[in-house]
Amino acid sequence: MKLNAHNLVMSAMFGGRRGPRPAVGNPTSIACHGLMEKAGVFFPEAHLDAQAMAALALAGHEIVGFDTVMPEYSVVQEAAALGAQVDWGDRDKMPDVKGFPNADFSAILMPQDFLEKPSCRVVLDAIGILRRQVGGRVAIIGKVMGPWTLAYHMAGTQNFLLAVGMGESAKVTRMLRQLMPVTIAFINAQFAAGADIVVLADHATRNLVGPHHYKEYLLPIHQEIMAQVGGPIILHVCGNCADRLELFAESGVDAYHFEWQVDAREAVRRLGGRLSLAGNINNAQTLLQGTPEDVFRQTRYAIDAGVHLIGPECAIPLSTPLENLRAIVAAGHEGYR
Amino acid sequence: MTDHLHTIKAAVIGGRHGEIKGLVQQALDAGLDPAAIINDALIAAMDVVGKDFGDGKIFVPEMLVSAVTMKAGLDVVKPCLTGGESQSRGTVIMATVKGDLHDIGKNLVSMMLEGAGFKVMDLGTDLSVDKLIDQVKTIQPDILGLSALLTTTMPEMQNVIGALKAQGLRDKVKVLVGGAPVDRVFAEKIGADGYGANAAEAVELARRLTGAKA
Ligand code: B12
Repeated sequence: MKLNAHNLVMSAMFGGRRGPRPAVGNPTSIACHGLMEKAGVFFPEAHLDAQAMAALALAGHEIVGFDTVMPEYSVVQEAAALGAQVDWGDRDKMPDVKGFPNADFSAILMPQDFLEKPSCRVVLDAIGILRRQVGGRVAIIGKVMGPWTLAYHMAGTQNFLLAVGMGESAKVTRMLRQLMPVTIAFINAQFAAGADIVVLADHATRNLVGPHHYKEYLLPIHQEIMAQVGGPIILHVCGNCADRLELFAESGVDAYHFEWQVDAREAVRRLGGRLSLAGNINNAQTLLQGTPEDVFRQTRYAIDAGVHLIGPECAIPLSTPLENLRAIVAAGHEGYR
Repeated sequence: MTDHLHTIKAAVIGGRHGEIKGLVQQALDAGLDPAAIINDALIAAMDVVGKDFGDGKIFVPEMLVSAVTMKAGLDVVKPCLTGGESQSRGTVIMATVKGDLHDIGKNLVSMMLEGAGFKVMDLGTDLSVDKLIDQVKTIQPDILGLSALLTTTMPEMQNVIGALKAQGLRDKVKVLVGGAPVDRVFAEKIGADGYGANAAEAVELARRLTGAKA
């Protein structure tokens, strides 16, 4: 917990007490076709229009019963504002970055009006709408990409990772440092707009890079980001990150949003005393292809293991059945054993 | 193995891209067989790299640098291959299927196949069935390599195979599939000719499938 006035007061308010059941929440998107149909809002509108964005987020609470609303479904809002060429996709396709403006590692300058660019403004406005609708009743979660993920978008993933492999650390660090103010500005703006919590998503995942890369390049940056933002922060790094859990704790974040690949008991044992754990329900096998009973069972396992905020491990596949999302909520409502 | 081959192999594994050209040139000057430099040093090194990646000992940045190092070495050897050796082992089209932009794995497979002596036409990402069929007709490759990293785009592989059948092209080209969510069972189910879990397996498979030519 960062020692600022807000966090100290919130902590004092609850004094370490917890309710009869765990919270069910989604640090990343739970937008799926079923939810879009119920909300009457579809992609790509939900990425581009604040009312649509907020309506789809609200459906996660009103229709599925999650305790959170999280209105950002793509990972490219900041990149678009920084000048990356974005294809906003359609009902069946998530947005993608098509052209990488800084493939040559040229300087990245945050535009003066960064927060007013349409792809940022829409998120801030949606958070404001949600604040007016459910503020104080449902936890509002914002989401911001960290410098590592932004570098994938601005330079191209392969290109960026090649520079890392080549040991071009000055070049890599310069790009990360140029992107850091973008992350900080957007996190602070989301808190100011009404977010209760903000997710810092930064994909230094084991599928791509090692713990030593995280430690060398990203940990110092995450620590600096944490020094410059207020409010509770959830770090999201997908993949099996069992080899770097303690490094995440060193970053100073309040919670870690993690995948099923990391056993919940192990994660709680190793990190539970230092930060909260969120997520853990498997997307590809359980939520997408499993039955509600499978989801229920897995959710109970995570709750019994001591995961604090139960939910999907990552942004869910668009064809995830709504019943499976409801099964997470049902398992949460069974309460603690 | 000779010292030269051993040194080259170690340089590729270690990603020492600055040294590789000199090392390969020294080996050629010492009279080593260019084909041996390729197969027993450059490609053999990437087999080790692929395995280390699979075992979680190294990560994508290191693997990319090794691949770049291998390619730099190849550029030095290739012009020295004599008639028979320089002949392509076959032509391969590589592509990531429609709706999918993941290309790091596919690019590594392309580089390795090229290293192994195949002529590779990498068509990029997000390739529609129609476009692929079109290219298969024009290029007439021995192998069509398809990559998918999303569970939602895996069915596209089946669509491609279906379209090849419908166009009477299925027995003219071998179809290889790969990508993290793809497995052998899926490959068999959709009627692909082979599945490779990594770039080294892709090379083995391609060699086997073009056996007559190798
Ligand atoms: C890097 C990455 C990205 C990068 C891609 C950059 C690029 N230029 O490729 C970016 C950030 C753009 C990205 C975007 C998205 N991604 Co992504 N991504 C990854 C990640 C972390 C690593 C993939 C990778 O490069 N691995 C390293 C390479 C070397 O391995 P590989 O690709 O498996 O290739 C090897 C083998 O499979 C094999 N191989 C590969 N192709 C072929 C082909 C043949 C013929 C053969 C024989 C062998 C073979 O050989 C290769 C070398 O050993 C994976 C995580 C994972 N578990 O894989 C997620 C992952 C694939 N992504 C995922 C998702 C959901 C997305 C997005 C939808 C995110 C979003 N919400 O917007 C978008 C989709 C964009 C799109 N339309 O494609 C999910 C997919 C879930 C699923 N099962 O469907 C994953 C699994 C992450 C997760 N845990 O949720 N992603």
